Amino acid sequence: MPNVQLPPKESNLFKRILKCYEQKQYKNGLKFCKMILSNPKFAEHGGWHVYGLLQRSDKKYDEAIKCYRNALKLDKDNLQILRDLSLLQIQMRDLEGYRETRYQLLQLRPTQRASWIGYAIAYHLLKDYDMALKLLEEFRQTQQVPPNKMDYEYSELILYQNQVMREADLFQESLEHIETYEKQICDKLLVEEIKGEILLKLGRLKEASEVFKNLIDRNAENWCYYEGLEKALQISTLEERLQIYEEISKQHPRAITPRRLPLTLVPGERFRELMDKFLRVNFSKGCPPLFTTLKSLYYNTEKVSIIQELVTNYEASLKTCDFFSPHENGEKEPPTTLLWVQYFLAQHFDKLGQYSLALDYINAAIASTPTLIELFYVKAKIYKHIGNLKEAAKWMDEAQSLDTADRFINSKCAKYMLRANMIKEAEEMCSKFTREGTSAMENLNEMQCMWFQTECISAYQRLGKYGDALKKCHEVERHFFEITDDQFDFHTYCMRKMTLRAYVDLLRLEDILRRHAFYFKAARSAIEIYLKLYDNPLTNESKQQEMNSENVSAKELKKMLSKQRRAQKKAKLEEERKHAERERQQKNQKKKRDEEEEEASGFKEELIPEKLERVENPLEEAVKFLIPLKNLVADNIDTHLLAFEIYFRKGKFLLMLQSVKRAFAINSNNPWLHECLIRFSKSVSNHSNLPDIVSKVLSQEMQKIFVNKDLESFNEDFLKRNATSLQHLLSGAKMMYFLDKSRQEKAIALATRLDETVNDKNVKTLIKVSEALLDGSFGNCSSQYEEYRMACHNLLPFTSAFLPAVNEIDSPSVALNHTANYDVLANEI
Amino acid sequence: SRIKLGDVTPHNIKQLKRLNQVIFPVNYNDKFCKDVLEVAKPVCFDDIAVGANPKRLYIMTLGCLAPYQRQGIGTNLLLELQALNHVLNICEKDGTFDNIYLKFGSEIIETKKNYSKRIQPADAHLLQKNLKVPSGQNADVQKTDN
Repeated sequence: MPNVQLPPKESNLFKRILKCYEQKQYKNGLKFCKMILSNPKFAEHGGWHVYGLLQRSDKKYDEAIKCYRNALKLDKDNLQILRDLSLLQIQMRDLEGYRETRYQLLQLRPTQRASWIGYAIAYHLLKDYDMALKLLEEFRQTQQVPPNKMDYEYSELILYQNQVMREADLFQESLEHIETYEKQICDKLLVEEIKGEILLKLGRLKEASEVFKNLIDRNAENWCYYEGLEKALQISTLEERLQIYEEISKQHPRAITPRRLPLTLVPGERFRELMDKFLRVNFSKGCPPLFTTLKSLYYNTEKVSIIQELVTNYEASLKTCDFFSPHENGEKEPPTTLLWVQYFLAQHFDKLGQYSLALDYINAAIASTPTLIELFYVKAKIYKHIGNLKEAAKWMDEAQSLDTADRFINSKCAKYMLRANMIKEAEEMCSKFTREGTSAMENLNEMQCMWFQTECISAYQRLGKYGDALKKCHEVERHFFEITDDQFDFHTYCMRKMTLRAYVDLLRLEDILRRHAFYFKAARSAIEIYLKLYDNPLTNESKQQEMNSENVSAKELKKMLSKQRRAQKKAKLEEERKHAERERQQKNQKKKRDEEEEEASGFKEELIPEKLERVENPLEEAVKFLIPLKNLVADNIDTHLLAFEIYFRKGKFLLMLQSVKRAFAINSNNPWLHECLIRFSKSVSNHSNLPDIVSKVLSQEMQKIFVNKDLESFNEDFLKRNATSLQHLLSGAKMMYFLDKSRQEKAIALATRLDETVNDKNVKTLIKVSEALLDGSFGNCSSQYEEYRMACHNLLPFTSAFLPAVNEIDSPSVALNHTANYDVLANEI
Repeated sequence: SRIKLGDVTPHNIKQLKRLNQVIFPVNYNDKFCKDVLEVAKPVCFDDIAVGANPKRLYIMTLGCLAPYQRQGIGTNLLLELQALNHVLNICEKDGTFDNIYLKFGSEIIETKKNYSKRIQPADAHLLQKNLKVPSGQNADVQKTDN
C-alpha cells in the first residue's frame, strides 16, 4: 500500500472509498476512485489497486484485470496485487497469464506453499505435465511428513500428483508412485481402484485380476469392478463370464449384481431358468424397485414374453394357493408376495402400452392394500402415459396425502400437477416444505430448484403465457451465471485446504457447466418462445377488436358500442389517476433505486413477464441462449435445428447452411431436419439477389444433400423411405402441402393414417399430428381434425386430448374401471 | 419376524383412516382420528401399514386388512396391550368371532342385544380383561360413536 502520505483532501477521499467498498456501494466507490486517479500525482497511491478491487466486486472482471496491470506497472512486486490478479486470471481462464503471475509470486515468496501449488496447477491446466510434475515433486520433498503419520493434506497432494501422472500417460511411474506412498494415502479404496486401472493399462493382467477380485469383495454391486475383472481375465466366452458371476454369488449370496448381470447376457431357456430364480427371491423378499432393475431388458421381445409368462403364472397361482406354482410345498408365501407381483405386472403392462391391463393389476393391488404409497405412484404414472394428466395428478396427490412428511412424493406430486398445467396447485404443494415467510416460487428460485422451474417453463409455454415462461428461463440462466461466478472463492480456498483434485474437477465442471440438461431445457424453451414471439408479436391493443360486427344486429351493435365507449372513458380516468400516482411514486422510487443499486453488487434487473414477452429483438435474445448450446451441446441435433430456425428468420444463409449440415451429419433422416431442408432450399431459390460467392457455396453444399433431385421428389423419397413411421409421415405430409397447397387432401390423408402398417401410433405422436392439423400446417381443415380426433379416441379411449369437447371438464368420469376401486374404499353399510 | 409396530403421526394419519375405512363396517368420524393420534399404533408388515390399534383402555378398533389376517398381526397388537386392562364391545359377524381376546384372558361379561343400529347381527358381547390385582385402572365402558 502507499508509502507516501496523501494530502488531507485526497486522504479523506481515500477513506471514503474504502468505506464504500465495505458497504458494497461499488458505484459510488468507483466514482471516487476515478476522481483520485484523474489526478496523475496521486495515481500511484494504491489507487489503481482499489479501483481494481471495486471493478472485481462489481463483476467486471476484464476491467479489473486492466486495473491490476496498471497498478503493477507502478508497483511491480506488490504481492497483494499479484495475488488478486492471479485470481481474476484463473476465473477468466487466462491460463497463460495465470502462469506468468504465479511465476512472479513464486519468485517473491518461495517459502509459501501456495506459490508452488499454484504454479504447478497452472502448468497442469496448460497440459505441460513435465513441468507440473517437476514442481509437484520439488514441493513434495519439502513437506516433511514422517512415513507412519497420516496427514490428510499430504495424502491429497500425493493423489493429485498421481492424477497428473496418469493424465500424462505415465502409467509405470504412476504405479511405482502409488506403491511408494500408499501407506500415507487416506483414501484406501481409491488406491486400489487406481492400481487396478494402471495394472490393466500396463498389461499386468494377473495382478490386475487380483486387485479387482478384492474390490468386488469390498463391494459386489459396482459394475465397473466386474468390467475390470473381465478385462483382466481376458474373458471371451459367455460360459466363462457366467462362471465368474456364479462364483461371486456364492461368496456374496445377498448381492444383486452377480445375479442381475447374467440376465442381460443369456438367451432363451437359460434366461428363463435364471429369471425364475431371480424373480422368486425378490418377490418373496419384497423389492419395490424390481421392475426398474429389469426395465433395461425390455428391448428384447423374447425376454419380455418370458418374463410375462413367468410373472402372470405366479399371480394366478398365488391367488389360489400361497405358492408361486400350484404343485409346490414348503413354506407358504406371505400376502405381500402377491402384492409385489401385481405391482410388477402393472408396471410391466404399462411399459408395453397395455394400459387397461396395467390398471387392472394396480387396482387389484390397491384393493388388497390401500395404504401403500407405491401403488398410487404407479397408478399415477400409468395415467400419465395414457395421456390423462389431470387424472395422473389426482392419483399422485392421493399418494402424497398418505405421508405428508415425505418430500420426495410431495415433489413428484408437484411435478405431475405442473404437467397438468395446474401451476397454482403445484406451488401450494411445494409450499408444504418451503421456507415460511416467502412464497414458494420465490424460495424455490432462491434455492436454485431447477427441476421445478423447468417444469414451470413448460407449463407456462403450453398455456401460452410466454412472459411468465421467459421469466423462469432467465431465472434458470441466472443460476448458471451464479454457479460460474461462485467458483471465485474456491481459487484461494482449495489452495489453502490442499483439496487439489476436487479443485481441478471443479474448474473442469465449470468449463462445461451449460452442458447440463436443465440449461438445455430452459434454453430450448426460451428459443422456441422467442421464435413464436417473432412470428406473432404481442401488441398492446385490447382484444375488443375481435368483435365481428357483421354477425351482430344494429341495435345490439349500438348497445355494444356505447358500452365500449363507457368502458373506455372509465379506463381513461383510471389511467390518468394511475399516471398521477405513478409520478409521485417515481420520485420516491428513483431515490430508493439509486440507493439499492449501490448496495447490491450484482444488482440484477427485475424480470417482468410483460416486458419480457414484448422485447424488441426476440431473435437476438434467442441467440444469447443458443450460443452455449452450440459450444457445449453440439452433439444434439436439436441444437442445430433450433439454430436453423433462428437464422432462417434472420435471413442468414450461410449460418442456415452450417446448421443443416451439422444436423445432417448427426442424423440425416430426422423429421424436423427434413422440414428445415425443404424450407431452406425454397428460401434459397426465392432469394435471387444473394452475392455470387454465397450462391456458389450454397449450391455446392446443397448438391451434396439433395443430389439433383427437385424438392417434390426429395420429399417423395423421404416418405417412401419412412412409410411406417408416423413421425416421418407427418413431416413429409406437411412439406407436401407446403410445396403445393393444392395437394391438401392428399397431405392430410397421409398424416392421419392409422392403419396397421404405421408403427408408432402412440399418445405422443398422435397428439403431434392433431396439433399440426390445428396450427395451420395443413391450412384450414377443421372437419378433418374432428374426424381424426374421433378416430384417435377410438384407438386411445382414455387420452384427454382426444376426448369430445363436452366432457373435457370432468374427465375422470370417462375412464372405465378406476372409479370402482375408489368406491371400495368408501363405506358400504 | 417381518412384523413391526409403527407410530401414527399427523403425517401418516390418513393411512390409519384408510385402514379403518376398509376394515371396519362402521364409519369413525374425524374427531376420533384426531384423538387417535395420541395412542394409535399401526402394524407394519415389511413397512406396509396393514393393521391398526388405537390403543386405549377401551378398545375402539383393532383390525387388520383381509389379505394379511392370520399372520400373527392381531397377536402382535394385543401383546402391546397385555399390560393393560382393556374392555371392548365386539359384534359377532358371520361367525367370525375371533377368540383372540379370549386367548389373552378376556372374559365375556355380558351380551347386549341390538347393540348396533347399523350392522347385522346387531348383538354384541362385552369383553373385559382384568389383571389379577385389581387397580383403579378399570376403565369405564365408553360408548362408540356410531
